[in-house]
Amino acid sequence: MIRLAGIIAATLLFAMPVAAGWKAMPAGKTVAVVDESLSVTPTQSWNRWTRRPSKFGEVWTLDGLALNELTFFAGVPSGKAIYHDRLRRNRPLPKFKSDMLLTDLAELFESSNRIVLQTSLFEIEETQPARLAGHDAVRFSYSYAIQGDELKRKGEAVATIVDGKFYMVNFVAPALHYFDRDIGNVRKLVDTATIPG
Amino acid sequence: MQKLALSFLTATSLAVAGVANAHPSRPLPSAIGYEPKDEDERGLWLQMDEFERNLKQSKLLIRDPELNQYVHSVLCNTVGSDRCNAARIYIIRTPYFNASMAPNGVMMVWSGLLLRMRNEAELASVLGHEFGHFEKQHSLQSFRDIRAKSDAAAWLSLVPGAGMFASFSLLGSALRFNREMEREADLISLDYLAESGYDPMAASNIWEQLRAEMDAQAKARKQRSMKDVGNSLWSTHPSTKERMEYLREAAEEMGSEGKRKGEAEFRAAMQKWWPKLVDDQIKLNDFGSTEFLLGQLASDGWTGRLLFARGELYRARAKKDDMTKAVGFYRQAAAKSDAPAETWRGLGVALMRLGKQADGRAALRKYLQKKPDASDRAMIGLMAREK
Repeated sequence: MIRLAGIIAATLLFAMPVAAGWKAMPAGKTVAVVDESLSVTPTQSWNRWTRRPSKFGEVWTLDGLALNELTFFAGVPSGKAIYHDRLRRNRPLPKFKSDMLLTDLAELFESSNRIVLQTSLFEIEETQPARLAGHDAVRFSYSYAIQGDELKRKGEAVATIVDGKFYMVNFVAPALHYFDRDIGNVRKLVDTATIPG
Repeated sequence: MQKLALSFLTATSLAVAGVANAHPSRPLPSAIGYEPKDEDERGLWLQMDEFERNLKQSKLLIRDPELNQYVHSVLCNTVGSDRCNAARIYIIRTPYFNASMAPNGVMMVWSGLLLRMRNEAELASVLGHEFGHFEKQHSLQSFRDIRAKSDAAAWLSLVPGAGMFASFSLLGSALRFNREMEREADLISLDYLAESGYDPMAASNIWEQLRAEMDAQAKARKQRSMKDVGNSLWSTHPSTKERMEYLREAAEEMGSEGKRKGEAEFRAAMQKWWPKLVDDQIKLNDFGSTEFLLGQLASDGWTGRLLFARGELYRARAKKDDMTKAVGFYRQAAAKSDAPAETWRGLGVALMRLGKQADGRAALRKYLQKKPDASDRAMIGLMAREK
């Protein structure tokens, strides 16, 4: 929630308040995410938030966003930021570009998060080759803490570019207990990802 | 950069002065063994002591003993070793220009401020300004002014330890210093500089640089510069232009010739931290400010580290011609002995973005040779087609 609080502050600041709601994503059932830009089959039941971090993203959780947060970004076109760029006058976000290399995606994600979360305590820890939806991808782990809530959080994301568009599945949880408890199931979910069409 | 100017104001707002003049016999808060004198002051101190207990645990603190010792020693040089120990300096890893002072002696200096200082005299002028607020008890004065107008309990409820930076900002905005207090702290700082032998022109120079940085930021973003925004009759602070000018006039009267700037000392003390602070700045996606600051840091010549940083900045922006320029900077960096291993990583990636695959792979392999334990070894190795 803290992470999302930061993102919401930055991205939804000027949006009309809408009642946030949740929709169950049952285990074993293939679901379309981000307006059918990506499909996954969760291995455990998740809850999808009706609020979205951008037009190209959506957010799931198991127990509440403070404890585990799974975000999907799918079909982000060249020239767009991955989050809503609502504070673009004073704190513009970096933009995805279709000619980026896989390693650039980790840098794009890091810079976007440092700006949105307003923290310099954000480090990419390890970067490895991976696969996402049958395409070459980059998997990177990271950790961060933010001002005002200094609980250390760990994250792992898998990102790729397909037909010039950006795709990513990203999981964040407190480093203590929650990240290790859930990352195995998240990786299984990532393995089920497909890009329709 | 608006943030930069604003946060400086917010910060100094929190800082401190005014009442002491009315009671010349009262001891200054910087006196050894000073205790709060009344209920208001005790209340403020209690809140700030709680804040400080949390601050000590913060992951954002830069704990490097050498850097902390250096900044403390500059304060002592500036205000005198008999008084400087009343302040406890905390260096915070946050990439914006800010410094602040709480009434109980907690002084916070943000890393973005250190990145923007060019010499010891400039740092001394900021520390002297904050210490001036402290000695003049400006925060107590502001607190009383606000309390006279509004509900003090509601105000105090903003302060407690949870979410300390958020509440610190709120506190800052609730507790604005007026023009006279800022001006007074500015002039106190000038006196400190003069007494301690530092160049008093340093104070005016800081504002001049900040205004130039705001111009550079705005130009890169194709916006109007914010440097004179908020400069109206109704503004509660002197404008940056006004400050730059009255500080310059006063410094001219004091005489700046031959006074100590302490550039070499400052550079030596910051050497270890610059790469990290520059990296924090590059990741803010603020091309104009960063390019301006790199140019400032390179006033003595472009080192390998600074050229590497410039390559990273251009590669991250990736506009027309940026990638070609980045390659040029990485290559210049690579020719210097202090170039970090990541220079070849940046070079390789930039070359590959330009379609020069073979040269790019060669540079990436060189990166892995120079940094065999790189945390991105598997990924870069694949891109470099390493055997």
